[in-house]
Amino acid sequence: MTMVKALFYLLGFMTLASALFVAASKNLVRSVFMFFVTLLSLAGLYVLALADFVAITQVVIYVGGILVLMLFAFMLSGKETLSNIQQQNSRFISVSHLPVLLLAVLFFIVLINILFKADINNLQWTNKAASYKLDVRPDSQMTSNIGTNLMTTYLLPFEAISILLMMALVGAAHLSRKEKKA
Amino acid sequence: MNFYIKYLIVAIGLFAFSGFFALFGVYAERKVSAFIQDRLGPTETGKFGLLQTIADVIKLLIKESIIPAAADKLLFMLSPAIIFIAVYMGFAAIPWAPGIAPSNLNLGLYYIFAILSIETLGILMAGWGSNNKYSILGAMRSAAQIVSYEIPAGFAIIAVVMIAQTMNLQTIAAQQGIMSSEKASFLGIWNVSQYGGILAWNIFRAPHLIIAFVIYFIASLAESNRAPFDIPEAESELVAGFHTEFTGMRFAFVFLAEYSMMFLVSMVAVILFLGAWNTPLPNIGSVRLADWTTGAAWGIFWTALKVLALVGVQMWIRWTLPRLRVDQLMNLCWKVLTPLAFVCMLISGIWRLWVM
Repeated sequence: MTMVKALFYLLGFMTLASALFVAASKNLVRSVFMFFVTLLSLAGLYVLALADFVAITQVVIYVGGILVLMLFAFMLSGKETLSNIQQQNSRFISVSHLPVLLLAVLFFIVLINILFKADINNLQWTNKAASYKLDVRPDSQMTSNIGTNLMTTYLLPFEAISILLMMALVGAAHLSRKEKKA
Repeated sequence: MNFYIKYLIVAIGLFAFSGFFALFGVYAERKVSAFIQDRLGPTETGKFGLLQTIADVIKLLIKESIIPAAADKLLFMLSPAIIFIAVYMGFAAIPWAPGIAPSNLNLGLYYIFAILSIETLGILMAGWGSNNKYSILGAMRSAAQIVSYEIPAGFAIIAVVMIAQTMNLQTIAAQQGIMSSEKASFLGIWNVSQYGGILAWNIFRAPHLIIAFVIYFIASLAESNRAPFDIPEAESELVAGFHTEFTGMRFAFVFLAEYSMMFLVSMVAVILFLGAWNTPLPNIGSVRLADWTTGAAWGIFWTALKVLALVGVQMWIRWTLPRLRVDQLMNLCWKVLTPLAFVCMLISGIWRLWVM
């Protein structure tokens, strides 16, 4: 087993184990901190897939932004609210959890189906990219590649996403504004 | 196998360096504060009190490690390690001299920016884990401050990246001196590729980067929780903020992280704006000062000199300026620094397209 393979299995195990802890733990704050481990090992998996820019962006946005926001929400909400959430019916399999379980199982079946149907070592688009010498090498410059593609091939989706973010910002500003007495 | 041993030695060396720097950083801080407040500072232990911080560290090592009964023990014990490791990992991508960098990453700058945001998480962890109202207030103030000040700092960095066209710190460093592979021009008009020295530094290649440098420097003070942005550990209101409950070794780690952070943010500022390991002396005719003072050993010397000068300014500011209130802090960030940083980024684009 090579170093890369060993690292892949280690990171994969860490991602899955910490994600399970996040879902199953009763201590909400601890599960948020465990989510940090999930995100970091996921970033490690991205690095192994030669997507270093995506890995670092993941750390900036999720760890630096979203996790901190989640913790803020916890710290501002006080002990009573937190313990109310924690005292919910916590049995894993129960009638009230049926829709969630159904959804999860169906989604899992879809994933498994994809996994078995796709011929992973012989995918059409990877073969095509390799034949045009467009595949990513460990020493290739990813940032300029991403930038060029965002500004040419994928300009319309990029702009659509920025409009979506703009709407979210305007909405947030509107909600947080003090109402004037008319 | 030699490969891994080399990395291990570099990592241990960096750790030893950050410990050494924190030791004498604390000593320097006490002497500077004493000078500014017209006192003497430590004088008794060793010559000029030089051994004072070593004695302090020995005291911290033999102190009892107290964990508060109501604390979340796991989070409480892990948080100083996370705060320090986040800062320590940042050192991995920083170049010291031509050809000397622990890891020559393509995305070095972005990596440092990402790793430093993990420190926020460690501080929140410390605040929550301590289960103490002062700690949690300090942690929340700190997180709010760091998250807000990341925005002007980020845009000031983007202004430089637009001029440099790369995020590789070693390349950014090489562009600002006689080893540059492209044309370097002073104020965009005068080609100084042959002269080098202070004329080819980023702040003089594109003069609006002076503003970007000031923005980055102010934001970096806030990110390392230094005065005038030290409301997270404001002694007069919060005892000691997020590290109120820490004793002994854990307290030492929090301090180690703070001083390493000071060094790291100053080093990033030096690399981006102040010519990195390049000499400030230009070639004048047949007196080839820049050629004579460029090299591996000189590189380390210039980096260390510039970084220590910036750290000195940080200490000077800490003991001169009063602390900002929370609303003043947010006003400064969102109403002054962020728009200015946006303007810098805009000028950078225009500069790159039409002037350089």
